Amino acid sequence: MVPNRRLNFCGSPLHIMDRRGFLGVAAAGAAAFAADMTQLNVLQHPLLAGELKKQQKRCLLLWLAGGASQLETWDPKPGTLTGGPFRAIPTSVPGIHISELMPQMAQRMKHTCIIRSLNTRIGDHGGGAQLMMRGRRDEPNLKYPDLGAVLARELGRRDSQVPDYVSFYFATEGRNMSLGTAGFLGSRYAPMELYTSMVPENIRRLDGINDLDHKQRAELRDLLSKQFAQGRASSSLGSHNAAYQRVRGLMASEKLFDATQEPPKIRDRYGPTLFGEQVMVARRLIEAGVPFVRVARAWWDSHGQNFETHQELVPELDHVMAALLDDLQERGLLEHTLVITLAEFGRTPRINPSLGRDHFATAWSATLSGCGIQGGSVWGKTDAQGERVVDGEVGAAELFATIYRALGINHQKNYHIGSRPVPLTEPGTKPIKAVLA
Amino acid sequence: MANANTKKLKTAKELARPEIVFCLVRVPGSSRLFFAGSDMTIHDVDLSPTKPEPKEIGTHGSYVTGLVLAGKIVLSGGYDGRLIWWDSETRKQIRVVAAHTKWIRKVAISPNGKTIASVGDDMVCRLWDAGDGKLLRELRGHAEQTPHHFPSMLFVCTFAPDGQFLATADKVGHIVIWDTANGKPIKTLEAPGMYTWDPVQRKHSIGGIRALAFSADGKYLAAGGISKIGNIDHLDGKARIEIFDWQKGEKTHEYVDDKFKGIIEHLAFHPQGDWLLGGGGANDGFFLFFDLKANKALRQEKAAMHVHAFVLDEKAETIYAAGHGKIQVLNT
Amino acid sequence: MRINLPILALLGIALGPSLTGAGELFPPTLPIEEAVDRYVEAQLQEAGLQPAQPASDANFIRRLTLDLIGRIPTLEETRSFVASTKTGKRIELTDRLLNSPAFVRHQATEFDTLLMNGTRGSVRPYLLMALAEGRSWDRIYRDLLLPDESDPKLKPAAEFLHQRVRDLDKLTAEVSSLFFGVNISCARCHDHPLVADWKQDHFFGMKSFFSRTYQSGGRLAERETGLVKFKTTKGVERQARLMFLTGKVVETKTSKDSSAKFSARAELVKLSLQPDQRDFFARSIVNRIWHRFFGYGLVMPLDQMHSENAPSHPELLDWLARDLVEHGYDLRRLIRGLVLSRAYARASRWDKGEVPQPSLFAVARVRPLTPMQLAVSLRLAVTDPQTLPAPSKPEELDKRLQGLEASAASLARLFDQPDEDFQVGVHEALLFSNGAIIEKDLLADGGDRLLNRLRQLTKDEEAIDLAVQTILCRPPRDEERKLLGEYLQQRVDRPVEARRQMMWALLTSAEFRFNY
Repeated sequence: MVPNRRLNFCGSPLHIMDRRGFLGVAAAGAAAFAADMTQLNVLQHPLLAGELKKQQKRCLLLWLAGGASQLETWDPKPGTLTGGPFRAIPTSVPGIHISELMPQMAQRMKHTCIIRSLNTRIGDHGGGAQLMMRGRRDEPNLKYPDLGAVLARELGRRDSQVPDYVSFYFATEGRNMSLGTAGFLGSRYAPMELYTSMVPENIRRLDGINDLDHKQRAELRDLLSKQFAQGRASSSLGSHNAAYQRVRGLMASEKLFDATQEPPKIRDRYGPTLFGEQVMVARRLIEAGVPFVRVARAWWDSHGQNFETHQELVPELDHVMAALLDDLQERGLLEHTLVITLAEFGRTPRINPSLGRDHFATAWSATLSGCGIQGGSVWGKTDAQGERVVDGEVGAAELFATIYRALGINHQKNYHIGSRPVPLTEPGTKPIKAVLA
Repeated sequence: MANANTKKLKTAKELARPEIVFCLVRVPGSSRLFFAGSDMTIHDVDLSPTKPEPKEIGTHGSYVTGLVLAGKIVLSGGYDGRLIWWDSETRKQIRVVAAHTKWIRKVAISPNGKTIASVGDDMVCRLWDAGDGKLLRELRGHAEQTPHHFPSMLFVCTFAPDGQFLATADKVGHIVIWDTANGKPIKTLEAPGMYTWDPVQRKHSIGGIRALAFSADGKYLAAGGISKIGNIDHLDGKARIEIFDWQKGEKTHEYVDDKFKGIIEHLAFHPQGDWLLGGGGANDGFFLFFDLKANKALRQEKAAMHVHAFVLDEKAETIYAAGHGKIQVLNT
Repeated sequence: MRINLPILALLGIALGPSLTGAGELFPPTLPIEEAVDRYVEAQLQEAGLQPAQPASDANFIRRLTLDLIGRIPTLEETRSFVASTKTGKRIELTDRLLNSPAFVRHQATEFDTLLMNGTRGSVRPYLLMALAEGRSWDRIYRDLLLPDESDPKLKPAAEFLHQRVRDLDKLTAEVSSLFFGVNISCARCHDHPLVADWKQDHFFGMKSFFSRTYQSGGRLAERETGLVKFKTTKGVERQARLMFLTGKVVETKTSKDSSAKFSARAELVKLSLQPDQRDFFARSIVNRIWHRFFGYGLVMPLDQMHSENAPSHPELLDWLARDLVEHGYDLRRLIRGLVLSRAYARASRWDKGEVPQPSLFAVARVRPLTPMQLAVSLRLAVTDPQTLPAPSKPEELDKRLQGLEASAASLARLFDQPDEDFQVGVHEALLFSNGAIIEKDLLADGGDRLLNRLRQLTKDEEAIDLAVQTILCRPPRDEERKLLGEYLQQRVDRPVEARRQMMWALLTSAEFRFNY
């Protein structure tokens, strides 16, 4: 019979000294450990943990679906007629003020760069989501991969035993307009989407079959398919077999999605909300080697009662994001993990009669924290009312180039569709150098 | 009986404002108003001239959401958590009290003019001596968090006509009636239809009880807000009123408007009990007159703006309304 | 690459006296399959390549049945075809399939996917009608672009425009790509100035044919006047003209009072089918149909049919396009010719070292099944073949298969539509490995299910034979008999489970997932 793949990894630190061979071992190892132990032990293995920390870059996107207000978060304009009722508070970095709704992030400003000068022009949810998920808009005959799919490809491993693009999006708001998509990279890099359950779809073995049979019928499938593949060269065929080979590893990663595996102290830190729990699980995934996780927190589309809405949502974001940065830092992961807050767009300075703010893509904010980022900094400036960018204007392309560079990826790298080279960002796009560490 | 029901509301005056006006009070028997709002400033205006010219009295550190008049004293409360006493004649600040640690949502004054009540998002109602600004009591009966772990909001308070009882109401639709003599809660009522949380459609709420009013005989307590939200994008829920025979703890009326969507921001009973008037709005504003006996709306009329507050004159013939970018005087 | 004379001479092809150089086409009287093989084999010869062996009968009937009617053959269909010793049995099979109602249904599905992928609409009801009536491709094109919504038969065709009319750039780009094989949108702004053919004038010229179209009261409407303005890359404002891809301009009506109704869309349809203008239209559909049956176009990518991207077999493309036009855009005729060629019927296995370029068509391509092919084939493969009506009763069999197709539609939605260089996602493998629909529905052991039959076969060898033949449409090989036999033997205590797992391994095998 087929040898147990797990046996290929003996677990000895001596065998993972080879840096070139490391990533594969680490990824397989992570899944194996996760499957076999109740705790995530991979990072307690000092050498393995050390290597992981050195080499693997990760990204966690906090997607504020609907469009969070920059004025109630990262670019407050207190004292103006449209600035809203909230005050600005000083942060741990002199000169930087953020909304009073974010006292915890104010104390952690050193990790974070605020980009206050996004002008992305597209003010509808569908178009904005597409632009801000992909850094560009699709062409009629070309579907671009989104950030997660690009990072899955660039930072993940083809035969990875853990998922490489996970997306939590439980809310119905805007979901169909901002689905993760692998575009021309194909289904291999499509996200594992979680809509309603914290357990990914079809990751758990059904009761009708025992584990050994489940494993051995897969081996039988594998043997039959390998015979068929002989003399038949096709990357589609290869991907089919590769997909099945990842199944058992992915099943073993189910525990990664289980929030109850975390000690109560950590769970308390993230708080009792769904968003908190999902971000905590995202951290577990990141820690185990998943290169990209998106957690969507929806209902920011505050055309009505903007201030009440943000009063509910921003403190939660503040709390959860602060808990995440602390947690990552304590595990030595923050310098290798880029945490992004982003949305389709921001919100108008004008307050409408429903005490809401409307869609606004002209002058809004995003943040980058951790990996490759000059923390404690602000890029760009809006005018006194926040109606336009007066300094350091950037679009989606520059933001994405900056994200790629922060993660050590050449933003001008080409993919090829047939003979056509497709660069990661439009030619001539420059990352924001001052933001990069 | 109701006599003005067939007529349309007539606009007698409009005053455009750059800010959102959240609150106003009227000097009895006059057309002099004090009003305040999102410019964080309290203004004094006489509406009788053709071109009224508002004068500034003073400012808060954030939105001003509560105004009452105690003789010649104007008392304001705002999102800065402060209560400020102003001399309406000299326009001087008399006293500043750090009253709440979070936003003050509403300020009320007892019928005898001696006691001030303030409510805020610290979920406490505080009673103050209108004369010397001393804290008389703290009334605690509203949970700080919603059942879904978010900070709750204590939007409104109002005194009963006899001055003995005071009602407070919050975001989740919880109402408490207090005996101001001893600070004890004597009745609680629930209006869960006002809490718009929905775990599927939206993970935040924009509802809550925003308005309270006792009937002149003190028997009924009316609460106003918004019904179940369709689309979180905007105030996509029907205007909602629930009325209680509060001493019996019975809900006597539940009215869901069939014409207007939006929040009921303010409620007032006709002095003789002819009707209950509600004002509010979404992107537009409305007034609706509700007949308790017939249990139906008498009139549903569009307002010139989203209405945040209004006062009726002594005969309930004139409405002084304040709202989004406007002050409006209407004849019933 | 052009065929040179010595090679033609080598092939012993008689050349008419008029043939003075490369580029002259074989006579139009040749059968299509003959022309295909002559052109393809000439190039193989030039490359010094022996093509792969012909596909076995079992391989051929599976491939052809999937391609023409969208499913694997039944056990009985395979058996009788393989057993038949008739000469011309492949032609007979081809004609039988082409004339079956299932061909119309499958064609409708395929064209609906082509035309409507990425939209929320479907023109399948229209296509079913049009294909059953044997409407030609130019007629279908006209129906889609000029649908008479008051005609209930044509109303469903209007979905093509309805789904796109709110985004005229998309409509322009997709019509150009779907019907003319050119992608004019990407030439605008790409760093590689790939194509000198396409200028902004072309894009906005094409857009001008659609810019007057709009929706009114849920119906399509068209203004008689109005032109598109655009800014050139140098910032100069220009007014576009009604210009086709060839550069040909239609003069538009200048004033409203002229009496004849002027429709820019109708002008496009008319112009693009004119003898001196129709190359784009004819060559594009030939290339797309070729791609469907060979897994690789004569021009790749399919929407890059321009002067700087030559076809692999230019004369063949010209010949086929000419043939199609001369025969009234009859796609069934074209398809018949393609599948009767030797090039179509090669084996997919290449044992002679490095696999030749796909553009040589030396070996059959391995092609992923479409969602509907996969779903219907799964439904059929898990059905007890003894419960199916015999092939001698085609109406009854078709009725049963229509039922299977209906129940396959929801299953099909779980799979991805393959695109070029399709990569199977892990969600598909997880679905098959742990999905309730697979375990509890497909692998159920109820009355008409294959598993029900398998469990009645007490001898493992019989169960193995039946399972492999039903699912993979061929007899098991010796090593498979041994492997599967061992698997069943290790589970003698749970024979039903063992047979279910064997079925699973066959259904999830690469061989089942692909058309090879």
